[in-house]
Amino acid sequence: MLEVRNLVFAYPDQESPWNFHFTVEPGQCIAIHGASGSGKSTLMNLLAGFLEPQSGDILWQDESLRQRAPWQRPITSVFQEHNLFEHLNVETNIGLGIHPGLKLTSEDQQAIEQGLDSVGLEGFGKRLPGDLSGGQRQRVALLRALLRQKPILLLDEPLTGLDSDARHLLRQLLLEEKARGTLIVLASHDKEDRKLLADSVHRL
Amino acid sequence: MNNLAKRQQHGLPMPSTPGRPAPFSRPGWQLWPGLTIASALVLLSVAGLGALIWEASLPDISQLWQSRYLRTVVTFTIWQAFLSVLLSLLVAIPIARILARQPAFPGRAVLLRLMELSLVLPSIVAVSGLVSVYGRQGWLTGFSSDWLGVSWNLYGINGIVLAHVFFNAPLAARILLQAIEGAPPSQLRVAAQLGLGRWWYWRAVEWPAIKPVLPGVAALVFTLCFTSFAIVMTLGGGPAATTIEVAIYQSLRFEFDSGQAALLAMVQLIICGFLWWLAARRGLTASLLPDRRVASHRTKAGSSLQARLADGTVLGLFVLFLVMPLLAILTRGLPGMGSAFFPQGSFSVNPALLDATVRSLAIALPAGLMSVCAALLILASGTTSKRPAITRLTDVAAYLPLIIPPLVLGTGLFLLFRPSLGSSSEGLVLVTLINAMMALPFVLQMLKGPLGSLDSASRQQADQLGVLGWYRWRWLHWPRMRKPLALAMAYGTGLSLGDFGVIALFGTPGQPTLPVLLYQQLGSYRMDAAAATGLWLVLLLLVLFSVFNRLGSPLHKTGLATTSPRRVPEPEHA
Repeated sequence: MLEVRNLVFAYPDQESPWNFHFTVEPGQCIAIHGASGSGKSTLMNLLAGFLEPQSGDILWQDESLRQRAPWQRPITSVFQEHNLFEHLNVETNIGLGIHPGLKLTSEDQQAIEQGLDSVGLEGFGKRLPGDLSGGQRQRVALLRALLRQKPILLLDEPLTGLDSDARHLLRQLLLEEKARGTLIVLASHDKEDRKLLADSVHRL
Repeated sequence: MNNLAKRQQHGLPMPSTPGRPAPFSRPGWQLWPGLTIASALVLLSVAGLGALIWEASLPDISQLWQSRYLRTVVTFTIWQAFLSVLLSLLVAIPIARILARQPAFPGRAVLLRLMELSLVLPSIVAVSGLVSVYGRQGWLTGFSSDWLGVSWNLYGINGIVLAHVFFNAPLAARILLQAIEGAPPSQLRVAAQLGLGRWWYWRAVEWPAIKPVLPGVAALVFTLCFTSFAIVMTLGGGPAATTIEVAIYQSLRFEFDSGQAALLAMVQLIICGFLWWLAARRGLTASLLPDRRVASHRTKAGSSLQARLADGTVLGLFVLFLVMPLLAILTRGLPGMGSAFFPQGSFSVNPALLDATVRSLAIALPAGLMSVCAALLILASGTTSKRPAITRLTDVAAYLPLIIPPLVLGTGLFLLFRPSLGSSSEGLVLVTLINAMMALPFVLQMLKGPLGSLDSASRQQADQLGVLGWYRWRWLHWPRMRKPLALAMAYGTGLSLGDFGVIALFGTPGQPTLPVLLYQQLGSYRMDAAAATGLWLVLLLLVLFSVFNRLGSPLHKTGLATTSPRRVPEPEHA
């Protein structure tokens, strides 16, 4: 179980701090929504370990994650944009998710190829992110996140700005991932995304 | 059931799991090597200066205003540096404005590269070119005395300031151009829409753009002119035109008066140190090197023909000012090169030239490499540490070599290590070390931007993926740094190759480097041989730059883009 326990954070110029508190079970999706500036991205960054809370704790299977660095947390993220290294091709971007030094086995290579096929990007491995559409980039980012096999998936507006085909494909992928037991924290403005994917909704 | 087991159950591909953490991923690896080098630099500088003072107790400070010689030296140093800054900026500002106004004309990119040449063109070579144009027998002197009845004496303050302007006006113009081209696009759009005239365009766009960098540029040019050595040695006209740096050399080499040298060094340190302290306090040390990317210009099209002609005329004169000495080096050097490489009609390299070349490269290549490695490590520790004291230490270490006279540093270190520094080859090791230190501020400036160009989104991605330490360097920094590193290596090596300061003190006349050989040939009036050596030195620099440029070009290798990485905007929080 993921437990966010009285997690308090405020930026230096912020008057009243945020206080996050909720629990989610594996295989469930919690949707976070609220107006711009309500703290959705901040919560994601706190969970991922990119920001340090002032107090409170994040527990996964009763173990605190607060002292763990981002790479040591059982978490992987997909944001609305800037998920890929622009100067590295698709294969390398995904490969770095599997091994941070790109020391890939033949099984890893095969996993990448099959993964690209499964998200409709067969033959796109050598392309640069800049040569892909928004939807294709998000598929690559999501594939990398899924191949990392982390039990918690953070999604910060992952479907915003995508065309309907891309949205449909990514929603299906996320539903499958949820069915496999992955815990999803989804920050989304979109009512339809929340309705389709979320088991509970948390308004900020 | 864990995620992995479920994945297997669903028949999805199974990637292998990563093993050990990335090599060199502990924060200490980014902090300690650079911090050690920075501390060593500060310690070596202080110890060098201390050794000099210890060796021969500091003379009475009142000598500074009582001794006529010392007073003249200090006053002259400040005066010539002030004049050089003033004239360099008077040339640089209009040239930068014209280049910003004229975004596309044939040869613009070549001109911009030519303007960077002053960073590496050895002063002694440039001086030989300037003498060929403005000297007693020079092209322009002959033309002006024959046709206009005007003549001048290049030696003394005239020549020193002219050479300083030749070196520093292009550098300053290049930095100011960069500042103008970096003006906010919104301002440029508004200015273009309003059709502002030149005066108002200057007031509204250009002046606000260059104002923040102008004091830093002035401080940089002032320091370079204040500490100038080779130019004053060759063009100075006796005691009346001697700078502190040359006086230190004379004290050490001829008068064996290390006390006086230390006193002068302290004066230099105080003046330049105060200047850089002021500059650093106002955050002026950034952007003091030209960015090699040729910016695409975005504004102010449609000048009148008359205005374009005026711009063209000024730019033409500037190009002549830059190119004439270089052409002189080429035309005078070519015949000499014939006798250096084909003495009896068949190819055989002049042994003196060959020895000097090998010796120069043996000093310059390790010096370049050392400066690049030191700069990288210092930058890494400066960015890793969040403690202001450490960041300040790395800043001080980086800019210290700009203000401490290399001769003083060299002498101090020589005295410090004297029992173990006996042979000339050990002296050359010292020269290499000091050359590396002297190149450090420039190399550091070159690498600072590219190393810091990793945006926060990429850093966060890398953090989450565990792309740390060596892996981060390999996959994220190296593709961005490859070219700047090669360029920095070329500049570091080039600066050392053209050094005629430290080597003049520690080198032995029988074992000259190329600049020393050139100086010896100039001193013995073997002008053809000197011209050939000068040209050979320039050619060597060109080869060096093209080799490093080739090495810096990205390989067509799987996984890496051949284009330079694009910056992504910083994400907004919450």
